[in-house]
Amino acid sequence: MGAIGLIMELTPEQRESRLGWRLTAPCLGVIGLLIIYPIIYNIYLSFFDVKLTGDKIFIGLANYEKLLKDTAFYGSVLTTFIYLVGTVFGTTLVALLVALLMNLEFPFRSLVRTLILLPYFAPVISVVFGWQFIFDPVNGIYNHVVVDVLGIATERHNLIGEPKTALFVVIVFDIWKHFPISYLLIVSKLQSINKDQYEAAAIDGYGPFGRFIHVTLPELYFVLGTLIILRLIWNLNKFEDVFLLAPNVQTLPVFTYYKAFTGIIDQGFAATVSVVQFLVLSFLIYFYVKKVLRW
Amino acid sequence: MNRKRSLLQNILLGLAILIVLFFCLFPFIQILSTSLKHQFDWGNPSLIPVKFNLDAYRELLGFGESTEEQIPETIKKLLDNPRITKAQREKILARYTATGDIFPFPRFFLNTFLLSSSAAGISLALAVFGAYAFSRLRFGGRTTIQRSILFVYMVGGVLLMVPLFQMSMKVGLAKTVWGSLFSLLLIYIMQTLPVSLYMLGNYFRTIPYSIEEAATTDGCSRIQSLFMIIIPLSVPMLVTVFVYCFIIAWNEFLFASVFLKQYRTFHTLPLALQSLFVSKNAIWDRIMAASILTLVPIVICFLFAMRNLSGGLAEGGVKE
Repeated sequence: MGAIGLIMELTPEQRESRLGWRLTAPCLGVIGLLIIYPIIYNIYLSFFDVKLTGDKIFIGLANYEKLLKDTAFYGSVLTTFIYLVGTVFGTTLVALLVALLMNLEFPFRSLVRTLILLPYFAPVISVVFGWQFIFDPVNGIYNHVVVDVLGIATERHNLIGEPKTALFVVIVFDIWKHFPISYLLIVSKLQSINKDQYEAAAIDGYGPFGRFIHVTLPELYFVLGTLIILRLIWNLNKFEDVFLLAPNVQTLPVFTYYKAFTGIIDQGFAATVSVVQFLVLSFLIYFYVKKVLRW
Repeated sequence: MNRKRSLLQNILLGLAILIVLFFCLFPFIQILSTSLKHQFDWGNPSLIPVKFNLDAYRELLGFGESTEEQIPETIKKLLDNPRITKAQREKILARYTATGDIFPFPRFFLNTFLLSSSAAGISLALAVFGAYAFSRLRFGGRTTIQRSILFVYMVGGVLLMVPLFQMSMKVGLAKTVWGSLFSLLLIYIMQTLPVSLYMLGNYFRTIPYSIEEAATTDGCSRIQSLFMIIIPLSVPMLVTVFVYCFIIAWNEFLFASVFLKQYRTFHTLPLALQSLFVSKNAIWDRIMAASILTLVPIVICFLFAMRNLSGGLAEGGVKE
């Protein structure tokens, strides 16, 4: 009878486990079907010549050979590298400076703190054209200030029209767009630093700068590390910000998009670029999960 | 650090704050200003329009300017003929109003709103169950699943663009309008689900277990206690997560362009604005007015959910 009872009735632990799986099943279904499976399917597609209509022919490693010989690909890797270094460094630095500033007391502080979050929450699409207008060669304020007011340049430039200068504008735009979230994380850490530590450091004879180096920075070490690695991961994936502001700046995601959906469509080749990007990304994520989450 | 600041320090501080505010807000002011300017005024660096111009807004919101102007006289006469039916009249009118010239903003707005709110709603509903299981139930494989969710939450849409399009093509969804819309809805659910799970899971953990325990000893099942205790206690957070998912979907451009490019009437706002910008370069006032109108709902959401949102984000529930 005991044996039958074991088969018929589940222990509370087993019931809990079953319920756990049942409740997570829909989420796992969506994630499995729409994220995990596509990642694997993407690797599979990279060995095919894929048409937009879905027809495909197996071509082995030909896509990879083509990729290694493609100078445009190397150009894109370089652009991505400059973009990542500029945005990650810039975003973190601006966020740190603003966080230190906002940690001081001044009138209307909470209003100011709310207002500076606006760039982060504004839809990319609603701000890119404003930025386009600022740098517009005919009407834009940038050319007005640089040429007419300050006289730094003698003629008006179309900064976004030229890929080289456009990359610079995209970097500034991305710093503007994303520093608020980093700032938010830094400032919440700053507020949790024990005030006694500053007083102790002051007694030890450290000035404001010394206190920053010896008290603030060590406390921020973890949050800054997290922000840098997360920003690298996010910006490696970033498409909209770059494509909508300056379609001529070909970071890897933009390069992939052009190959997959415009001009001479080559979806298999696009899948191959994605595989390479995925490998770099996995390395970064692995690093994040292993090192940062363990800290 | 309660030291009083000197006058000079105060001035420097004020200056620094003004610079930060200027950097953050100037593009928004520029957009608003240009949206209200007449064409002759565009190149004028002053942010205050010489003469206010609300035409762009009027045109986008579909009132004021009558569309009949574009209809030739002969056709007008034909329309006045009492013998043609209402349906016929509408058909003829449609032929003259449905030129590429008109930007049906309310239509695009509605498309985006419906798509974003359904995606956010479904994602939230699925995430409530999943997050409850992660934060409250013990089962084999839980840690692995949680780790994997953290992992997928960092895989960007760009990497999935080709395989998802091919999958949708293979099952035939991408070949029809409604199939494309359905694919897009599924993709938006997929894009918002990991972040909902993450934010809700973190929140559910902060609800004391003892409250739930009291209910289960009274004979409530786990599902009942989820609905009667956890959900009512989490309403502000549920709203926040919904708003956050809504914003993600509202802003999405990549997949909308992949699936909906050819179906103009079903364009979402990001896609519609981009096509407007690409098709006609010199209509800054309309583009800026459309930008402002796209921004406004998000600012409202943002002010609404601000409190919980910045707290939740500071705890690491960020998705880009």
